[in-house]
Amino acid sequence: MNRLGEFIRYRELLSTLVVRDLKLRYRNSLLGFVWSLLNPLLMMLVFTTVFTVMMRNNGTPNFPIFALIGILAWNWCSSSVMASVNSVVGNAPLIKKVYFPREVLPTSTVLSNMANFLLALIVLFPLLLAFGIRPSAALVLIPVVIAGQAIFLLGLAFVLSAVNVFFRDTLMIVDVLVLAWFFLTPVFYRIEDLFPNYTRLMYWLNPMASYITSYRQILLNGEWLGYDFLLRTLAISVMVLVGGYAFFARSAHLFGEEL
Amino acid sequence: MNAVMKAESLSKRFTIYHGKPRSFQELWVNMFRSSAREDFWALHDVNLEVHLGETLGIVGANGSGKSTLLKLLARIIEPTTGKLTVTGRVSALLELGAGFHPDLTGKENIYLNGALLGIPRKVLDRKFDEIVDFAELERFIYTPLKHYSAGMIMRLGFTISLSLDPDILLIDEILAVGDASFQRKCMDRIRQLTRHVGATILVSHDLSLVRNLCTRAIWLQNGTMAADGPASQVVSIYLESEARRYQTPPNGDTQEMPGPVQETPASPGPG
Repeated sequence: MNRLGEFIRYRELLSTLVVRDLKLRYRNSLLGFVWSLLNPLLMMLVFTTVFTVMMRNNGTPNFPIFALIGILAWNWCSSSVMASVNSVVGNAPLIKKVYFPREVLPTSTVLSNMANFLLALIVLFPLLLAFGIRPSAALVLIPVVIAGQAIFLLGLAFVLSAVNVFFRDTLMIVDVLVLAWFFLTPVFYRIEDLFPNYTRLMYWLNPMASYITSYRQILLNGEWLGYDFLLRTLAISVMVLVGGYAFFARSAHLFGEEL
Repeated sequence: MNAVMKAESLSKRFTIYHGKPRSFQELWVNMFRSSAREDFWALHDVNLEVHLGETLGIVGANGSGKSTLLKLLARIIEPTTGKLTVTGRVSALLELGAGFHPDLTGKENIYLNGALLGIPRKVLDRKFDEIVDFAELERFIYTPLKHYSAGMIMRLGFTISLSLDPDILLIDEILAVGDASFQRKCMDRIRQLTRHVGATILVSHDLSLVRNLCTRAIWLQNGTMAADGPASQVVSIYLESEARRYQTPPNGDTQEMPGPVQETPASPGPG
């Protein structure tokens, strides 16, 4: 608890690091911040071409929007996971020379990717209107879903960043796992279509599947989420965070020597 | 007198792995090997109290445990045994400009580095002009750091660290900053800091600096404390022993050193 209090006292460092990440991401590119919006749109174009032109038997209504929601949520997940693996090791010079709560590092990678996700949502809403989809009152649940995904990703970031200090193979392994995870996550399909017999299991094992389906249900269908579905997903995410944080907190005092 | 820092039989052991498993492959290979590791006590049974208003210098040869002691005090590593009590806010200047990023401007880097050192944003806002002025960087503060000269970066880093109001200031061999006039400014600043708040602990090979700046010094040798006392006195003892080390022939059997002082087998390393 002492540890957590110190982490909270360093929240200014956290916000500074998040702002630094966002500033640096596009500093030397010509289009700058526009890339946050352009990149998912281009990916949407690719997915739509592949799954409606090249593979014709796709019956998903509003497929471009359907895919875009999946892409945005997935990009936040995959870029957080990949960046968090190196968030401690990549800052070894800092860790060896300055004391600050090490939790700040993985947290800032998740939050800066979250900020990117929130910015990219800006393009989503005009597109929803363009496709004739009206926002519904269920929209009030969106912040809850976003918070849930952030909690889940934070938990993963804590574990991965700490494990990578002791085993540098983590990055290579995670690289492959993220690819497998991408195909097991309903980014361009629906769980119900591909895994009709294991739907529940897929949602249980993969909180990202639950989150992406939640975003779609709210934004695309304008439906409320089942409370058991939402609560279960949140509960799993909180468990991942608690476990991940406990692991990180237990190993953090060794970082100064191991790096 | 008030002790702001108290170390009781502080020890730090490092385990040297000869081929530490950095990967699963190595871990797998090493499982079938007798463990190739060796213990090394970087610090052994150090008892030390630092009081309010003191400027403590730490002298000693390379590898004597000076930096390990500072890292322990800065909480970057944890002691293996012994107890370390610190009252007040420690700020460690083990590296200048920690976290500086070449693509960010001087101003952005001030806020980044300041946040890393735990300086509240409000304090940085208040002291911003003072920092820029002290570092003599008025003209370049909105320029990305990659266009700075090495000296400018050092000055900026040093100035930000000095804008802290620490209770205990730790400095590791970083005073070789800028030109003579800037160095004098830094010295004055450190003296002033030490007078107004807490204590300063300084590691340096620059013995005249230790003599000038410090009120007290300790001499570390092979991880143990070989001397403790007024700075000028400790520095002379240290110098004498070093001189003797160079004079005695390598197989010299003249063991005339007193007390815990032992002949170090190491030859004088470069630098």
